[in-house]
Amino acid sequence: MNSTRRLRVDWPNCEARGLCFELLPERIKLDEWGYPIITGDIPKELLADAQEAVRACPKLAIRLVKAPKAS
Amino acid sequence: MSGRLVYASAKGPGVWVTDGPWLLANIEDGTGLLRHRGRFPAVQEVSASELATAAESVALRGRGGAGFPFATKLRAVAERHGPREVVVNVSEGEPASYKDAALALTRPHLILDGALLAALAVKAGRIHVVLPGEHQKVRAVMEKAIAERASDPVRWETRTATSRFVAGQAQAVLQLLTGKENLPVTAWEPEAFSGLFGRPTLLSNAETYANLAMAWHFGTAGFASVGLPDEPGTMLMTLAGESATPMVVEVPFGTPWERILGRAVLERPVLLGGFHGAWVPGGVLSGHVVSRVEAQELGFSLGAGIVLPLMQGACPLRETARIVRYLAEQSAQRCGPCMFGLPALAEAVSALARGRDTSKRVLQLTGQLPGRGACAHPDGTVRLVVSLMRNFHDEVTAHAEGHCTFSESHRPQAVTA
Repeated sequence: MNSTRRLRVDWPNCEARGLCFELLPERIKLDEWGYPIITGDIPKELLADAQEAVRACPKLAIRLVKAPKAS
Repeated sequence: MSGRLVYASAKGPGVWVTDGPWLLANIEDGTGLLRHRGRFPAVQEVSASELATAAESVALRGRGGAGFPFATKLRAVAERHGPREVVVNVSEGEPASYKDAALALTRPHLILDGALLAALAVKAGRIHVVLPGEHQKVRAVMEKAIAERASDPVRWETRTATSRFVAGQAQAVLQLLTGKENLPVTAWEPEAFSGLFGRPTLLSNAETYANLAMAWHFGTAGFASVGLPDEPGTMLMTLAGESATPMVVEVPFGTPWERILGRAVLERPVLLGGFHGAWVPGGVLSGHVVSRVEAQELGFSLGAGIVLPLMQGACPLRETARIVRYLAEQSAQRCGPCMFGLPALAEAVSALARGRDTSKRVLQLTGQLPGRGACAHPDGTVRLVVSLMRNFHDEVTAHAEGHCTFSESHRPQAVTA
């Protein structure tokens, strides 16, 4: 099974609280206004941290989705 | 080019439409259903696979700008279970585009025939028609055409979009139809899987449906009579030139660009695809023909067919700055990167035009904005700016040195960093 996951932000709901960045700096940085920039897909070893970042978002504005298969 | 003014508005410039070889043939017949039925007999039944095959055989692609293969979308909707929805998008958010307005004003029943075929194919009981907020006349013509179709085996429902740039975007249209604000939201799944009310939804552009009707009525052979072997048919294009009134022309694929714009105009830069499109440097289109494939090879896209040649004596930097400021104002103010990033980008591009070399800042922003919004508004805006940076690098340098090679009256203030 392809287990690569991808973080997707629900942009209209994101309010730049920055918790996702604090919990997953390996894959999230912040722009100058504090909004997340996703820097890559989530491999297995980061999955638990990514799930934590998703749960921690006070606006429920970030989700883990299946990464589309590379073509 | 000759044409007829089909819509003159006190508020706007109206639009000129010329007779065309395919969709816009015989537009002097008027917009009534009786005349229309003389050429296109009514359809009562069609299966999804039949219709998808018909669309595929003429290589029908979406005409909203993205160019997605229509048959793929139709099959995706038809394969899903449960009630399905059909949406016709006649609202053009892009202010430089008038082609769907022109089509609706001259061939309303062709659009509606295509939508009806689609609804019969996916067994949808009703069809939602989304009309443009900014063109009262378009709404009137479409409403009248729908009123003539009481015997259709579907229910027609119309809604009017708000007149703003992002209102015509697919998710924004679906929001409107559910009674919410006409603004984009995050789509977790394509609307073909989960669209209106969570149902599989076939949402396409007016010109796409009109072409679907043509494919059904005239088949591959009829379609092959216009256009290129691999790209049959035509494309509706909105041309804006020196005159304030935009003109919509129907252009068969394979038409030389010289014939559309004239040799002299082709020597100027052309903004292709509208405000979310890209600058094509002067001379690049010369010797080429209108074709999606050729455009792709040259590194640009035909988009929804908007062709804006740079006016004589206008500066591409200032023009781009003006457009980016407008696009920043058109942000729905919902997604942070768009709400803050586009004004920052507009400021950086305006500074370029004033003679400050802010290239670094521009490239920083164009690098980080795409893909970070509910809709593609930031992506489209970035596409425009990237094309400016790629094609007018020397002009940026010239401005930073205090002169503009396009406009004699424009004197940038050289600012040494």
